Amino acid sequence: MQTFNQLRTLTGRIIRQNLTNADTIITVIAMPVFMLLFFVYVMGGNIATTGAGGAQAYLLYALPGFLLLTMAMGSAYTSMRINLDRTSGFLDRLHSLPIARWVILGSHVLASVTFMLMAEALVFLVGVLIGYRADVTVSSALLFVGLSVLFGLGITLLAIPFSLKADNYASAGGFSYVLLMLLFVSSALMPTTGMAKPVHFFADHQPMTPIVNTARGLLNQAVAVSQHTEWLAAAWLVGAIVICGFLSYRVYVRMFLTR
Amino acid sequence: MKAIIVKGVTKDFGALPVLKGVNLEVEQGEIFTLLGANGAGKSTLINILTTLSQPTAGTVVIMGLDPRTAGNQVRRLMSLNAQATTLDGEFTGAENLRLIARLRGVKDVPAEIDGLAQRLDLTSFLNRKVKTYSGGMRRRLDLAMSLLGDPQLIFLDEPTTGVDPQNRLALWQMIKELRDAGKTVFLTTQYLDEADALSDHIAFIHDGVIVKSGTPAAIKQRVTATYTLQVAPADEAVATATLGAAGIAFTPTEHGLSLTATQGEPALAALLDPGVTVEHYDQDETDLESVFLNVTKEAVHANL
Repeated sequence: MQTFNQLRTLTGRIIRQNLTNADTIITVIAMPVFMLLFFVYVMGGNIATTGAGGAQAYLLYALPGFLLLTMAMGSAYTSMRINLDRTSGFLDRLHSLPIARWVILGSHVLASVTFMLMAEALVFLVGVLIGYRADVTVSSALLFVGLSVLFGLGITLLAIPFSLKADNYASAGGFSYVLLMLLFVSSALMPTTGMAKPVHFFADHQPMTPIVNTARGLLNQAVAVSQHTEWLAAAWLVGAIVICGFLSYRVYVRMFLTR
Repeated sequence: MKAIIVKGVTKDFGALPVLKGVNLEVEQGEIFTLLGANGAGKSTLINILTTLSQPTAGTVVIMGLDPRTAGNQVRRLMSLNAQATTLDGEFTGAENLRLIARLRGVKDVPAEIDGLAQRLDLTSFLNRKVKTYSGGMRRRLDLAMSLLGDPQLIFLDEPTTGVDPQNRLALWQMIKELRDAGKTVFLTTQYLDEADALSDHIAFIHDGVIVKSGTPAAIKQRVTATYTLQVAPADEAVATATLGAAGIAFTPTEHGLSLTATQGEPALAALLDPGVTVEHYDQDETDLESVFLNVTKEAVHANL
């Protein structure tokens, strides 16, 4: 019970830090909303998606990609918060307290995934307000939430080694640009078919495309997504969680438990 | 039961040995101060004692417990106040205290926070955001966070660094009150006057080894105290001959004959026999700074 209370206390601290920090709110919530509005109302009509054209057709196509983009932006702050706790000595203070070791980084992971889901929900709400209508069943909606959790967990675990190793707060979030680049060069914001040949090849064979396509299919039953794509998305996510989880654990153990 | 027992502790970082066989014991209810230059191994030792790090070899016993096998039990009994304050600037002082109180499983959080706020004079600014605090206020709040949960052993790592004189004296008073309340305080400081004023026991660490240890008075006497003897001008020749015959080393100075502290008493006894008139004798006051410099110099010399 004490361990649960400690996990809740530390998770609550980080979520509150995120919700009370203007920079975090602007980057993780306001910026994706601005980009969503910009892409839908300025560029959307000019991007060929499902053939129908127009802003609403683009919104229907791109919102799932923007939801994952929102989560990816949140991962930068996961990394920065952990790094700040390390460099300020707060992690050392926690390690000097009678707390189960796993709770210390576990609270960051839990807070990160929770905050990403909150940000995703807000961007989804904006999408609904501007006309997005999900076509879901209970199971596909739950699967979408599950996919979001796995995606959030994967990129959070990816953030941890960077956050622990980075020299300072500013450089800790740098890795997230790679995630954003992968999302931009995928089917997240536009179909890959119109991309230059080598970019098209890369976009079709990198992890973000099957993940975004699966998310799109789960939110819109009218979009046909092959089982192969769904399994590929699951494999990328589970693989990322296992590998990044292992790397995070190794770096953490080396830096804090066996130093 | 000793609060801390350290036996033969070594710590290597790769091929670099930082601690080279540290031995020390800390009694319960005393203020024990570890002094040493930057890089001497103070922080490494404190990290080991507070379970943040593990020794390469040797044993550590904290309040009768082995930190390697009873880490959380040890952490329940002790608390670390690190050099850097670890506060959330966007939270109020009270919120920072509540966070640590909950993590330590404090039963009556409001009562304990109120009590500490009064003891450390935090009440007037406890509900302000920490980012508005002065350095002294931050340090006092950080110390209060370290005292939550009533730890029996408190590690204070340079608690007054960067603190103004008024707050420094207030922190000294607080540290003495902790000792008076039966707590054991393990202190590191770079201020030798602080060590002198607060400590029941001092240890000097140099290049990963404890090179001197004892009460402040004993250390000062043992290391560099000198005697100065003034004899009647008519007896000077007899005095120098007597001391020379007795094998007692001395240095003539403009104030008289200067002797090391250990030879002061034998010299007096030797001079009384032939009836030398000793007009004045004095033991020089030695401060810890001289001791520190002396100890460091001796250690460097021994390594050559």
